Amino acid sequence: MAHMCRILAYLGEPLPAQNLLFDTDNSLVRQSYSPRMMNTFLNLAGFGMKAWDPTSLRPEDPFSYRATTLPSFDRNLGFLSSKLAPTCMVAHVRGVTYSDEAVVADTNLHPFQFGGARVALTHNGHLRQFPRMRYALVDHVRPELAQRIEGTTDSEWIYALVLSQLDDPYRVPETRELADATAQALRILRSVRAANGIDTSSPVNLCLSTGSALVATRFSFDYGWYPPEDEMLETDLPFVSLWYAIGGEYAEHNGDWQMTAGDPPRSVIIASEPLTTDHSSWLEVPEYSMLTAELTPSGLEFETRDLDV
Amino acid sequence: MSDGSTAGFLATVPLLEGRSESDIADLARVLRRRAVPAGETLWRQGEEARELLLIVQGAVSASLHAPGGRVVEIGRAGPGEMVGEIALLDGGGHTMSVQATEPATVLALGKADFAALLARQDPATFSLKRRLASLFTARHREQLRHLAASLGGDVVDLPREVAARTFAELEYCGPPDSRYLRRMATFHDFDPAALWGFLTSGRYARCPPGRTLLAEGAPSKACYLTINGAVEKVLIRGDRRIRVGLAGPGKAFGYETLIDGLSSPVTAITRERSLLLVLPREPFDQLFHREDAISRVFLDVIQRDLVATLRQSLRPHARLAASV
Repeated sequence: MAHMCRILAYLGEPLPAQNLLFDTDNSLVRQSYSPRMMNTFLNLAGFGMKAWDPTSLRPEDPFSYRATTLPSFDRNLGFLSSKLAPTCMVAHVRGVTYSDEAVVADTNLHPFQFGGARVALTHNGHLRQFPRMRYALVDHVRPELAQRIEGTTDSEWIYALVLSQLDDPYRVPETRELADATAQALRILRSVRAANGIDTSSPVNLCLSTGSALVATRFSFDYGWYPPEDEMLETDLPFVSLWYAIGGEYAEHNGDWQMTAGDPPRSVIIASEPLTTDHSSWLEVPEYSMLTAELTPSGLEFETRDLDV
Repeated sequence: MSDGSTAGFLATVPLLEGRSESDIADLARVLRRRAVPAGETLWRQGEEARELLLIVQGAVSASLHAPGGRVVEIGRAGPGEMVGEIALLDGGGHTMSVQATEPATVLALGKADFAALLARQDPATFSLKRRLASLFTARHREQLRHLAASLGGDVVDLPREVAARTFAELEYCGPPDSRYLRRMATFHDFDPAALWGFLTSGRYARCPPGRTLLAEGAPSKACYLTINGAVEKVLIRGDRRIRVGLAGPGKAFGYETLIDGLSSPVTAITRERSLLLVLPREPFDQLFHREDAISRVFLDVIQRDLVATLRQSLRPHARLAASV
């Protein structure tokens, strides 16, 4: 069962979640029913977010929210997002193929974060022929993490696989360690795909967060190769999109939402699509690359690198 | 400016060379003349495109707005030149902001009239499409020169021999599954018989990842169209490698040399194992210069690819300007 989604991540100055989710003319919630960079699919299978607020009780734990309700009709989400001003957030609207085989359920909603773990993950993409490789991944996932997989998605397995590459899945990893674990998880996926004869396009745009750092990938296995009758062909022909805006703060000026200049930068947004129809303050993440961002006392440290796995 | 003097000006525009007097007179009637004071912004990057402009007098500059409020001038245009056609052709927003750098006189051609001009199937329209391909190729080269200058360093010579060897050793194979080809966005709009004529004009070849197909600074031996997989187009300077484009399914590369006779402006390396349609010079020239339904498919594929390439190659400009 294939699925395509939209993801959003934010790290920086405290910012009302409402600004990111609702207020802009291509906000994440709008991308659920009117995505601009996605052919043939809408993202109607639910919404989820994790938001870290250092002024909240137990600041290391994020606010968690997920619902299979369409987010544009979700008043609770509207109320909540108008009161939250996180310094870090990851959010996701889920899209699945229009089929009675799709499982629209709370347990399949991103971001995934096992209890006690400090890392959350969202995924935009899908591993083609996942049922053929699912159980081969067991060998690469810590048993106690494999037991905690509740849903039916490939994404939750990717999450468990990334956590399994960390020295300790229950502490906050260094940004570099999380980036390396993510790259290692992709290498394992590549080898398991090869061992099972899977060689068709499988986009893996990931966004992982610890509350003080983000790691994101714009990546695909075997990009450009599809089964001829594949239902997701038209959606997958373009490389799955990912954009970022980096600077001082995300703010509205004269009706336009823009990332202000900031040197050194203090805030970054990473999203499947720019949150505004005007892209001039956004940059496209290069294909096959990884972004890392970390809040430090001297500002936001940000890096882009080629992802050759 | 009367229709007569507009027509007189249009007859001197290289892009319109070969148009009949009656064509030029028809065009003159639908163009709107406008005087633009120095400093006026004609449109902003991202705005919806409603018209293109032919510059009669004066000059305009095209600038890219990058994050952090930075602005980079990418090019200038003067008398006889055209601006704004990229967004009209691909339906996206304007790629750059355009501003008059001195008092200017322009002729505006609306979106529908431009589409009508390209929709005809007479020899003048084939000629116009070939001229557009040459114009866009020159513009793409200019963008890349600009980018290369900001990178510094010299072109690395090594890929030249490697690319020649790759071409000589290409592993040819049969055509791909037609069910797949029919679903590719690149080919949706074409008449099936003409499309098949185009798709059987060359040979298909498989290429493993990491293979250098084109070398910057060396002439390309063929035009390639990616059917499956992906090919990176890069500029290499010392140990720096900047990707200026990714040719995934339905995207072409290597045609610049075959259009203008100059060397390849980029190095092209397979990122994924790839299945390519290979059109060496002879079939390329036939498709480019003939005036039939198959050539129409080909010219449209090349035009769309150039338009997408021009848009895509602004990405590294923006990243460099933003320095993040």
